[in-house]
Amino acid sequence: MASFAASPVSFSAVSCTVKPNQVSNLRRASLSFSGKSSPSRRIPALRFRVACSAKPETVCKVVDIVRKQLALPDDRDVSGESTFATLGADSLDTVEIVMGLEEEFGISVEEESAQSITTVQDAADLIEKLLEKK
Amino acid sequence: MRIGFTKMKLDCYQRTFAHSSSSLTPIQLPAHLETHLWYVKPSEVKNESLLKQYLDILSPRERENVMQMRGEELRKSALLARTLVRTTIARYQINSQINPRSLKFRKNIHGKPEVDWQFSNDSLPPPLHFNISHTSSLVACGVTVDSQIGIDVEEKHRSIKHTVLSFARRYFSKHEIQFLASITDPQVQKLEFIKLWTLKEAYVKALGKGFSGAPFKTFTIRFKEDSIHQASEIVVDSFDEPTELTSNWQFSLLELANSHYAAICTEKHAASAEGKRNVPTKLTVWKTIPFVVDECVSGTDAVKTIYG
Repeated sequence: MASFAASPVSFSAVSCTVKPNQVSNLRRASLSFSGKSSPSRRIPALRFRVACSAKPETVCKVVDIVRKQLALPDDRDVSGESTFATLGADSLDTVEIVMGLEEEFGISVEEESAQSITTVQDAADLIEKLLEKK
Repeated sequence: MRIGFTKMKLDCYQRTFAHSSSSLTPIQLPAHLETHLWYVKPSEVKNESLLKQYLDILSPRERENVMQMRGEELRKSALLARTLVRTTIARYQINSQINPRSLKFRKNIHGKPEVDWQFSNDSLPPPLHFNISHTSSLVACGVTVDSQIGIDVEEKHRSIKHTVLSFARRYFSKHEIQFLASITDPQVQKLEFIKLWTLKEAYVKALGKGFSGAPFKTFTIRFKEDSIHQASEIVVDSFDEPTELTSNWQFSLLELANSHYAAICTEKHAASAEGKRNVPTKLTVWKTIPFVVDECVSGTDAVKTIYG
């Protein structure tokens, strides 16, 4: 799990749970953030590469966007495993979520890829894949 | 569970109460060129034992899916969606198959749900097609015979997070963007956007190829003015499909219960030697609480035809 030695990292999402087994095969990596930077996220010059599932940061951003789109109550648990369908996203919500992710991460998602996304984790993984290609 | 019924024709302009707590009033299959639409309003289904009864007719897998929905309202509309599909199809009593619980479903190669008729090998499956759509406030099921069908319902005043035009620019075709951009009143623009969305969804669902099978940007839905009859027609133009294929589809657009838009897309048939003329389809709409009451609402205020 990534650790940020210096300033505390605060997320605007209420809760963001990431299971430890999502971050296996941790190697050296460089942290790069596309999209908006937030003053609360002061990341020190720590370099490591995550060669597998999406970074917790990415999952958290996806969770945040999903929460806002679906107007979920604060006590609704949303994690990487949550499926959009069970959270109540219909097709219009799903395309808006994709738009939100495109805007947040500066990526472009094709219809075929969008159709295969069923969980928050899927979305985060796809985002990272697209970011890598840039 | 016993299902009793009387052989009664479900005429329109009638409100029919089920004659026992577990019966479904049977009905004849829609004719060629006819569409049946059934809908339920979750807010009108409050009885806990009735909801338990519904849960009981679902398959174990469906029950599991319902229980996985996060939140009571979502569970309820998921439950009612499956209940509506099962009870609606069961009404048509194909080969005396009247138990909604016994129906089996499968998905086609692209993931579109269809009935998996449990008949012996020498029987032909009945040509019944269905499609379902649900919002948290309304669940609808459309039924046709011999014709692919796709339906979509949306709340008229559903909120979207992006502006209409930014949404349209991302997903809609050039012609559709221009159409929406030309509307100056933002409220009207929003309503037209929702209408267009439901029509596009209904088309994709009718095709049954999934969202990526017919990406929204690759086809245009527009309203055609017939100068002779001054009637409007909804047509679809596709960049990928030749005209003969897109002229295969016809649309209806309704306002249901003053609160929702419902779009229905069905296959046309080569009705005559002159080719695919636009033969108006008959649409009959029922509001239902399965096992409790059915109300034919065609011709009432609950159903306002916008096009079709």
